[in-house]
Formats: sequence, C-alpha cells, structure tokens
Amino acid sequence: MANLSDEERENLVAYLDNELDEAATQELEARINLDPDLRKEVETLKQTWGLLDFLPKPQPSPSFTHRTMERLSLEKLGRVVDTGKMPAAASVWPRRLAWAAAVLLTAGLGYAAAHYFFAPPDSLGQDEALVRHLRVLENWRQYEHVDDLDFLRALDAPELFGEDTGASD
Amino acid sequence: MLRVRDDDAEAFAELVELYHPRLVTVMHHVVGNADEAEDLAQEVFLRVFRGRKKYHPKAKFSTWLYTIANNLALNALRNRQRKPVVPLNLRDSGPLGPRPVEQLAKDTGAAPGERIEQQELAAVIQEALAGLNERQRVAVVLNKFEDMNYAEIAEVMEMSVKAVKSLLSRARENLRLALKDYIYMEGAPSDNGAPEGN
Repeated sequence: MANLSDEERENLVAYLDNELDEAATQELEARINLDPDLRKEVETLKQTWGLLDFLPKPQPSPSFTHRTMERLSLEKLGRVVDTGKMPAAASVWPRRLAWAAAVLLTAGLGYAAAHYFFAPPDSLGQDEALVRHLRVLENWRQYEHVDDLDFLRALDAPELFGEDTGASD
Repeated sequence: MLRVRDDDAEAFAELVELYHPRLVTVMHHVVGNADEAEDLAQEVFLRVFRGRKKYHPKAKFSTWLYTIANNLALNALRNRQRKPVVPLNLRDSGPLGPRPVEQLAKDTGAAPGERIEQQELAAVIQEALAGLNERQRVAVVLNKFEDMNYAEIAEVMEMSVKAVKSLLSRARENLRLALKDYIYMEGAPSDNGAPEGN
C-alpha cells in the first residue's frame, strides 16, 4: 500500500471520479506511471468500487405509485375532515365567553337559592334574644364580679351598709 | 414538476412513476431494508407534494428530491440508533429477507455453487456499506448509483465540495479495508468482467 497523505489520497479518489482538473490529472497520471505502489493503490480502489455492482438490485413493489397516490388522497381527506370538525380560531372565543357567563350565572343562582332555603332556622330568634337581654349585656362587666344571685339580692338589703331605717338623728 | 406545482395530481403520479425506482434503490442502499426504503420513498414523494409551491423552476428536480430523501434517511438512521432493533441477517430465510428477484439480481447464469458465492459476496458488500457512517454511505450511494458528481452531492447533502471530496475519500478507504479479502475473490468483477466503477 502506497504511503499517501490524506490530501494525496483524496486527490487519488477524485482522479478516479474524474473530479480533478486537467493539470492535476496529468500530474497524477505521471506519478502513477512511475510508482508501482501507487498503481496498485489505484487498482485496489477501482476493484473495491467495482464490487458495489454486486449489491442486490432492489425492485420496488409494482403498486408503489398507486399506494403513494392513495396515501396522498387520505392525507387530503384527513385535512378536509379536520377542517370540518375544528371551528375557526375566531369563532372559539365568543363560545368560550358564553360558557363562562353561563357558569357564573348558575353559580350565583345556586348561592342565592342555598341562602334562602338553607339559612339557619334560629338566626331570627338569636336577634330577638339579643334585644331582650340588652340591659344585662350592657352591664355585663359589673355582673362579672357577682358570684351568685343571692349575693345580688343581699346587696339590695338596706341594712347591709349600716343604714338604720327606724332611727333618726 | 411545474404541473405538480399547479395542483395537477396526474402529473404527480407520473413523477412518482418516473422517479420511484431510483429513489427506492438509493433508500434501500442507505437504510439497508426494503420495506423501510419504500416507506421512506413514499414519505419523500408526499413531502414533495406538500412543498410543491416552494419549487423553483431553476432548481434541478432530482437534486431537490434527493435533498429531501437525504434528510429523511439520515433522520431514520438516527432514530434507529436511539431505538436499536436487531437487524436480520440477509442470509437468513424468511419473509423479511431479500426477495427472490433481489437474490437473482446479479445472476449472470452462474452455476448454483457460484450463485451462492455471489450471494455471500453481496451480503459481505452490504455489510461493508452498512459499516460506513451515515453521511459516507449517502455520499457513496449517490456517487455510485445516481452518478452524481461532487458538486451535486454537495448540494444534496448541504455541504461544501471539498467536504464531499474528503468524505468520499474516507468512505472508499473504509470500503477498501472492509473488502480487502474479497478484492481478488473468484467471481469478483475484476476476474469475471463485471463492470468497473470508473
């Protein structure tokens, strides 16, 4: 095998592929004539390339064109079906807004109905009790110091604070 | 192609009929599988049709076709590397093996023994081709089977002519190393008068 640089090898292959210009071709041919190793290299590369002719020749199926056209038709059909099903982008937003409004309205009505029908039954009674005991609540701070009802009644007795109801000065 | 650009389906069918044998051959040599090659070739034609409005009359149709084919084939090979499958040996029998007509493709009237030898040789060459990296393989197939020059290959593969020159040189060197034991094999093109590549 000839000792060739990468560039020389590239030129040798390009020469075999008729890709070298006239001057480069003549120069390389002169070298090949003088160098038996290079001649052998050329011959080996040629034979290797020729071996590719032994690769099997694939035969496409006879229905290839028909199947391709069928696929194309299906593809076109699919596009039409898609277009029929999918709404245009511009018409999507009004529909979405209508749905959102309907959901909000339903939620509002639901809340109002629930409030009307399921309000706690004693909410009115609590207000009445609050009004009835308003005086007690107003004096609640003072009542907090009272331990029991007897003590409160005892406070009402006039003699408790040294008052003599029968005596006079 | 201009008629196809103007939505003429009949013209598209003619185009498919005209180009598909070459395209399927190229795809088969690149991906190494007949069914996958046909699927990919079909996809190439469908992409041609989808992109028909972008076609410029100045561009050579086959270059455009093979540019799409190159991208699809390289994607398929990369996907295969990500999801590896166990390849069937071409010498295996079965429905996914080579079709009988493929096996006879290079039948030059040789005796049965020689025919088996040729089939084995074909399998070895196929293995050598599969051993190249993806880009080398595409470049070799376009150069060998589509007779594309370096400038055309560069356009299809979207690289410089210099890069193609380097790519093909390395590819041919790799093939030479992989096939060195078969270069002087009896029945090889050099011995039986089969056509030379150059």
